[in-house]
Amino acid sequence: MSLAHETLASLRRRLSSKEIHSRDIVKDLLTEIGTREKTVHAFTHIDEKAALAAAEKADSSLPLGGIPIALKDNLNALGDPCTCSSKILEGYKAPYDATAVARLRQAGAIFLGRTNMDEFAMGSSTENSALGITRNPWDSTRIPGGSSGGSAAAVAGRLAIAALGSDTGGSIRQPAALCGCVGLKPTYGRISRYGLVAFASSLDQIGPLTRTVEDSAILLSALAGHDPRDNTTDLRKPETFLSKPTGSVQGLRVGLPKEYFLPGMSPEAEAAVRGAAHWFEKNGATLVEVSLPHTPAAIAVYYILATAEASANLARFDGVRYGRRAVEPKDLLDLYHRSRSEGFGPEVKRRIILGTFVLSQGYADAYYRKAQKVRGLLRQDFESAFTKCDLLLTPTSPEPAFPLGERTQDPLKMYLADVFTISTNLAGNGAISLPCGFTKSNLPIGLQLIGPHFGEEKILQAAHAYEQSHDFWKRMPPV
Amino acid sequence: MSSPAKWEAVIGLEVHVQLHTQTKMFCGCINQYGGAANSQVCPVCLGMPGSLPVPNEEAIRKTILTGLMLGCRIAPVARFDRKNYFYPDMPKNYQISQFEDPLCAGGAVGLDPFLFPKDLQESDEAKAKRSIRLTRIHLEEDVAKSFHYEERSGIDFNRAGTPLMEIVSEADLRTPGEAFAFLGSLRQVLLSGGVSSADMEKGQMRCDVNVSVRPVGQKEFGTKVELKNLNSISGVRRALEYEIGRQIGAVEKGEAIQHETRRWDDDAGATFTMRTKEKAHDYRYFPEPDLLPVRTDQGLRKAAESGLPELPAALQARLMQENGVTAYQASVLAADRVLCGYYEKAAAGTKHKAAVANWILNDFLATQPDPATSPVRPEFFGELAGLVVEGVINSAQAKKVFAELMANPASPKAIVEKLGLAQISDVGALAAFCDEAIAANPRSVEDYRSGKSNAINALKGFVMKKSQGKANPTQVDEILKAKLSA
Amino acid sequence: MSAPKLNVADVAGLARLSLTPDETTKFTAQLSQILAHMETLGQIATGDVPEVVPPAQPVLRPDMPTPSLSVEAALANAPAQSNDLILVPKIVE
Ligand SMILES: [Zn+2]
Repeated sequence: MSLAHETLASLRRRLSSKEIHSRDIVKDLLTEIGTREKTVHAFTHIDEKAALAAAEKADSSLPLGGIPIALKDNLNALGDPCTCSSKILEGYKAPYDATAVARLRQAGAIFLGRTNMDEFAMGSSTENSALGITRNPWDSTRIPGGSSGGSAAAVAGRLAIAALGSDTGGSIRQPAALCGCVGLKPTYGRISRYGLVAFASSLDQIGPLTRTVEDSAILLSALAGHDPRDNTTDLRKPETFLSKPTGSVQGLRVGLPKEYFLPGMSPEAEAAVRGAAHWFEKNGATLVEVSLPHTPAAIAVYYILATAEASANLARFDGVRYGRRAVEPKDLLDLYHRSRSEGFGPEVKRRIILGTFVLSQGYADAYYRKAQKVRGLLRQDFESAFTKCDLLLTPTSPEPAFPLGERTQDPLKMYLADVFTISTNLAGNGAISLPCGFTKSNLPIGLQLIGPHFGEEKILQAAHAYEQSHDFWKRMPPV
Repeated sequence: MSSPAKWEAVIGLEVHVQLHTQTKMFCGCINQYGGAANSQVCPVCLGMPGSLPVPNEEAIRKTILTGLMLGCRIAPVARFDRKNYFYPDMPKNYQISQFEDPLCAGGAVGLDPFLFPKDLQESDEAKAKRSIRLTRIHLEEDVAKSFHYEERSGIDFNRAGTPLMEIVSEADLRTPGEAFAFLGSLRQVLLSGGVSSADMEKGQMRCDVNVSVRPVGQKEFGTKVELKNLNSISGVRRALEYEIGRQIGAVEKGEAIQHETRRWDDDAGATFTMRTKEKAHDYRYFPEPDLLPVRTDQGLRKAAESGLPELPAALQARLMQENGVTAYQASVLAADRVLCGYYEKAAAGTKHKAAVANWILNDFLATQPDPATSPVRPEFFGELAGLVVEGVINSAQAKKVFAELMANPASPKAIVEKLGLAQISDVGALAAFCDEAIAANPRSVEDYRSGKSNAINALKGFVMKKSQGKANPTQVDEILKAKLSA
Repeated sequence: MSAPKLNVADVAGLARLSLTPDETTKFTAQLSQILAHMETLGQIATGDVPEVVPPAQPVLRPDMPTPSLSVEAALANAPAQSNDLILVPKIVE
């Protein structure tokens, strides 16, 4: 069997026993990429030579020695492109390593491929990429989700062993759910954001996309911990996650937030998630109904705060110091206007305008400041829910992958699809998505487990126990 | 029409001060003027995608220290905000600054009468010793430096991201002289705390001025004009003198003052319209999400307090009271902490502290010394003053000793000896002078012997004259008395 | 919260974006719809709720120099440069 089909944990064991070599994995992945990447288009950039050269030098005694990992194209890795799937970063080569990238490098990982995304992580379908769409490996007429759609499609499609993504409102968990892999958004402050091209600084987190929960824990252990370069990282000591899997959910109090089971959601998705809840109960957990009453406001709060921050974060893309510059600008203002208008795609422009507006004089109180206050209420919702339960169990997405092109003209409808993932970014909590079933038409359905702040160990233990008593993760996509 | 005397100006200042730190505000690049273009930059201060700021603790400490020195309230929790505007010298196209919760609020700058322009030091406005209230002090990052060519501009980002403190005054100032004294007094405080070198001509201190005029007695402010390109403290005074005259002239002619920014041209001695402010900037301030709020009440404030220097006003009072220096000398010493330290060392070992001040501030300073590195040890001035007061040398001799001290630094006692300036104490030589005096002044001798003890003074005077002032008076007195009673 | 009048072209100007007439029309319609959805926030009572302020953290950067980029690396991405300066069309105040 091709090594491309194995989990990170298994490859790690075989590498350290010298049974296989890193180059074998890279070669097998390149073979898979050679046959299916044309259809899936998970990557924006693959440097085969560099990956093979790195594999030759890999030190298999290190924790991730010789393991190839794909990076979302918004993570800086020294000397590599980092396009954010935008024309405006054409030609840009990263002058430094993101802390997450540096930590993986230090652990011995090698990098194979940069994955496609919605431009600047703004989207839920990866259709907002200036470098082409990515297709869902389960059904190539459907979206892979987004914005980390390339990472999810690569991992699910056996084109990568594992990948990093970033999650601002569900951008790791939603594509993981739609592609049938495991996506973890850690607690805000758990992983350094240094080197992640910012979309919304108070919401962004880097996280792993993997085939299994164990693989997710391995990567989280390598990535987590305080970084003196990121003022918002937490100070707690590094830990190894899931070092002793219990395989049990006995005594766990699992909360089902009533606002997360909506009349309009896909019946198949709802049934699969309720089935998962039933499994928890059957295996010794207690189900508790809880309420997160401000959930209906989450989307409005999110799209105000995220776009406000983005409007400032994306101001630096101006054609002055790097990236695309308009040809023969007639003056400075023309340079700014044309470089930015030619460089950004429509969704990015739409969000910059929205974010600029909600911060502008006369409107900031009604929008930006009001949203900050409601964000406080949302956070309180979670705090009070976690006094009644250990984890929350919800669907990741109200529906499975939708067809390509279906929502590109209706941004609001696209935004509403983020309803189950957005609140955790606003409240800062960690959450995981893992497969919990398939629709009749063979599309994966995702289950979301949300933990209290810095409750990743709890999340991973429960997710692992559930995953190992099912075989959803072993299924292969047809594409 | 009213006469000019009936108008008053209302002036507020915004002062930007470059802080003395090793590194920039939000990254570890060095904070140093004069490096090769774009050699002191990194992903953070170039605004590269994905980079993040981390605040420099020392810059925060120095800002708090400034706040403490100026009597500000220090925020227990301060925040940084983003100020959004596009400009090529601003790498991120937003400046990390402070808007809602600055580090320091309130406070005041006391105007030192000796820091008014020389020609105004005796004026009523100088003697009033007014205190000018501050609105706030906040910390932000500086912008890059641009060079302008015919068609293009070139940008050097070395200065981008260096720490910049902004001190905003209330519109309490009324005259160009007060603005001059405000900047001088503020500079003195900044120097005393080691916060900044605060030299306007080197751009370490930059000043924007808001000025308007109104009839004396009117409460409402007139339309204010902002002045830019002020590159020295005296330039601020000149610009204000011109601008106030211009505004009064205009309103007296019945013209309305434009709300605008004007540029001071020092060569032309006039201000010129730079831009009219039809539309206020919309900076869209919001809290910087990359930075957590800064707690100052868990150690930062304490650290700043431990670095509090003796403030200029307190220092001046102490020097006047304890050392007997004049108000002017105290002001000069307070303005230059290195010189002051030198003086205090010189004065430490002697009772003659006021005399030492005269030597250092008149004679020594006139030689334009660098007190920090001068080979002339400060104790020498204590010794020199002592020699004069104790009568070992007279003042004319002292000048000679000083000149030699500057040329070949050595102990003044040794110099006196080397130059042969010391008083004559040799008994034989003195006895000869005394014999001569007795022989030449029979009248005085007679008077003395008949009981007029004062008559001995004439004989002493004779000896001093003969010895060119070198005779030791105490010994002369003893010898004369012995000889006359023999 | 009263329904805002969003002048898309003006706001785009603040963000240094130029829109085609088509984009302006489309964005105006889309953003008005989105803003209308955001109006729902107005119904949530937040009278005495403080804005979310992250916890203050004592970790700051010690004032110790760290290596800068080489001039070459600093300018490697610059679209236009000369004499180690990054060039832009002339800045006029
Ligand atoms: Zn730097």
